[in-house]
Amino acid sequence: MTDALIWLVAMPLAAALATLLLPRHASVVVIITGVVTTLAGGILLFAVGTQGALSYEIGGWTAGLGIALRADGLSALLLLMTALVMLAASIYASAYFSKAVERARFWPLWLLLWTSLNALLLSGDLFNLYVTLELLGLSAVVLASLGGKTAAVAAALRYLLVGLLGSMLFLAGVSLIYAGYGTLDIAALAHLIEPGPVTWTALALMTAGLLLKTALFPLHFWLPPAHASAPAPVSAVLSALVVKVAFYLVLRLWLDVFAAVVTGAAANLLGVLGAGAVLWGSWRALRAERLKLLAAYSTVAQLGYLFLFFPLLQALPSGPARDAAVGGLVILALTHGFAKAGLFMAIGVIQQRCGHDSIRDLDGTAQRLPATTFAIALAGVALIGLPPSGAFLGKWQLLAGSFATGQWLWILVTVAGSLLAAAYIFRVLGHAFGHQAYPQRPVTVAREEWPALVLTAMAMVGLGLAGAPVWRLLEGGL
Amino acid sequence: MLTAQLLYGLTGCLIVALGLRTVLLHASLLHRVVAINVLGAGVFMILVAIAYRGPGVPPDPIPHALVLTGIVVAVSATALALALARRLTAEQSND
Amino acid sequence: MNTTGLLVFDGLLLISIVSLAWSALASPDARRSVILFMAFGLVLAVAWGRLLAPDVALAEAAIGAGLSGALLLVAVGEQSNRALQDNALRVSERNALRVRATLQWVITILCVALAATLAWALVHALDRATNERLAQIVSENLAASGVSNPVTAILLNFRAYDTLLELAVLLTAVLGILALGTARPDYQRTGPVFDGLARWLVPVLILTAGYLLWVGAHAPGGAFQAGATLAAAAVVLRLAGERSIGLPQAGALRVILAAGVGMFLVVGLTLLLLGRPFLGYPPAWAGSLILLIESAAMLAIAATLVLAFLGGRPPAIAVNEENNRC
Repeated sequence: MTDALIWLVAMPLAAALATLLLPRHASVVVIITGVVTTLAGGILLFAVGTQGALSYEIGGWTAGLGIALRADGLSALLLLMTALVMLAASIYASAYFSKAVERARFWPLWLLLWTSLNALLLSGDLFNLYVTLELLGLSAVVLASLGGKTAAVAAALRYLLVGLLGSMLFLAGVSLIYAGYGTLDIAALAHLIEPGPVTWTALALMTAGLLLKTALFPLHFWLPPAHASAPAPVSAVLSALVVKVAFYLVLRLWLDVFAAVVTGAAANLLGVLGAGAVLWGSWRALRAERLKLLAAYSTVAQLGYLFLFFPLLQALPSGPARDAAVGGLVILALTHGFAKAGLFMAIGVIQQRCGHDSIRDLDGTAQRLPATTFAIALAGVALIGLPPSGAFLGKWQLLAGSFATGQWLWILVTVAGSLLAAAYIFRVLGHAFGHQAYPQRPVTVAREEWPALVLTAMAMVGLGLAGAPVWRLLEGGL
Repeated sequence: MLTAQLLYGLTGCLIVALGLRTVLLHASLLHRVVAINVLGAGVFMILVAIAYRGPGVPPDPIPHALVLTGIVVAVSATALALALARRLTAEQSND
Repeated sequence: MNTTGLLVFDGLLLISIVSLAWSALASPDARRSVILFMAFGLVLAVAWGRLLAPDVALAEAAIGAGLSGALLLVAVGEQSNRALQDNALRVSERNALRVRATLQWVITILCVALAATLAWALVHALDRATNERLAQIVSENLAASGVSNPVTAILLNFRAYDTLLELAVLLTAVLGILALGTARPDYQRTGPVFDGLARWLVPVLILTAGYLLWVGAHAPGGAFQAGATLAAAAVVLRLAGERSIGLPQAGALRVILAAGVGMFLVVGLTLLLLGRPFLGYPPAWAGSLILLIESAAMLAIAATLVLAFLGGRPPAIAVNEENNRC
């Protein structure tokens, strides 16, 4: 069973090589890999749920000498989300790219990205995390630049430089940890960590690097152009998964490894930056003229909500209230992943069918592309945080935690952010429902539209109504 | 702590700062790419300084392996950045 | 060398490193900046040798200074490459000039603060002397690893998973380079002097690459240094104006590029299916398996670095892609 941990990394990697060497059969390879990886992710989640955290020592060497892969409730949940989103996006991508040459270049990189996501979520070694971060960054950059015009390439170049800077800062932190503690194994470090200059500086450096990669305000400047100019399936995955796993690392470091060292002031700083992200991101989304830009700024805002949890978690004492807050945080992250991916894919359909993604000129899209508009509406509900979406549960926990700890500011920020989100979503839907008569035969292309619909439905119904197991899975961990 | 470790480690910190300053400030892309490489070299210097344990004693091999990996990753990233710049120029001249 | 002598040597070395870094970063001319950077890399390699890190010194000289420098130099040499001179990070131009001066001071102060904090933390870390443990565990397990060079043992055995992902990083970069454009035009045929030099230099480099690969098991060396040397041979051929530089054509090239990661996966998964841990070599076979993986990796690394130098798809691949309907 623990073998599944290494298969989850080896399968997408092997598939990447297969699509490189056999481009003609690439689509089949991708779909098979996608389904198998998703099944493996589900099995892993089930195993973690019944047996607790799993670990696998690569090469048989004890962790410390060698590298260990680890999965607990949090990483297993994110892994399954990654698999589902990537599978849906792969189906969408097979329809999005019309030219064979484009597809031949796309699939190996796409699978390398998937490998890096899985490798990052399962890694139990600090330096290995650095390498997975680099693999993630490079593959994301290349995918974002594919087939692109000036705007896409320029944005990808900026993304690359920012990503490299972040990785270097992370590596500097890892070096300090090795110097101070003599080991790179995360599980071992969790027991060894004690407050001191080495630990504070290392945590600050690693967090700074990760904040660049997760685009927390004010380090978010690179995200909107990069996500808005990339091809639609790539944007979906960039917003839903790539920034999410960087956030996962911040969470892992702050709540797990360095928990003994985190101070209230530092947590408050993250909260304030998160508040800035929510307000600034939502405001810019409201002012956006293009759908993709709107969705990208919305990502900036939604990530801000996740950071609002940090001061709460720092202030709440261990117990059911804190566990509920952690569960809310994870559900919010998962919901955003599904909803944002679905939103970007739906926008991609509109962009390809209508030739543009300008919001003002959307007149009548709803009638012509009903499934896609429905997907946007569902995603919108999840982004605003209305019931029954998972985001509602998450924001409810956020508000409950703020009440309990008396940190009123986050309540104001959450309410303001949700109102702004409602405004920008309804603005889009308003433009989408034009004044034309309902056409006789609305366009529906299964491969293009169903992935988006399924993902947004998961965000709404799956995580909203069936969210309880998430709390149970997280109980053992953070 | 050995004098050599201290000297080389502190120089590494200085070089990290030099590289970072140029990445943040300099206008041209080429200088930024060079600066990121210099920043990386500074971090590698810190790692190799950590590994050194004296003139006759075998050093700690783990940071050496980490630095080797880092050097290869840095050259990959540099190559990609330069390819992106070349493509950007081509696209801009098409506009 | 006595202690004072060594101290003086260290002082001079460090001063030259810092001044080279400073000049490379401060020089407004791009070409001069790159050349100073290459010099910086070479002096850094001397520093690695001084700190008893010969593997790293070889890699820094070959890859960090040599190939990185070559890539940067050939990029700067393209007169038409405007994007290199342009500002890549500037998002909006409005207040650029006004904010410039204050921003410079703020950032300089922040960087100085960062250096100070980093130094303070490093001094505290070095005081603790805790890294004896892990290094000792490495030497205890060295006999079972199949090689006697500890760095190779770590890279290809204990932490082989890192190397696997690192080869994946190389693959990603080269796929990006291939997707982004076509190769730079060939150079003109060079004069007799360089031609004569190339005629004996290239075979020597190829032999050296093979030697570095072989010797990496028990002395400084290994797949990365060997791959870089092999790539250097191809670069010399190209600079001499040769059209064919040893790169295979379309399908075979893809196989070579995939070989590094591929060999790792084949070995690892076979071992997994045989009931052993992933990449858990049986001690009797460890040496041979490591050499096998390193050979494949050397070819992949060399091909990647050569394609990076070429800057994009070689002409034969461009034609082949059109035929690839899928």
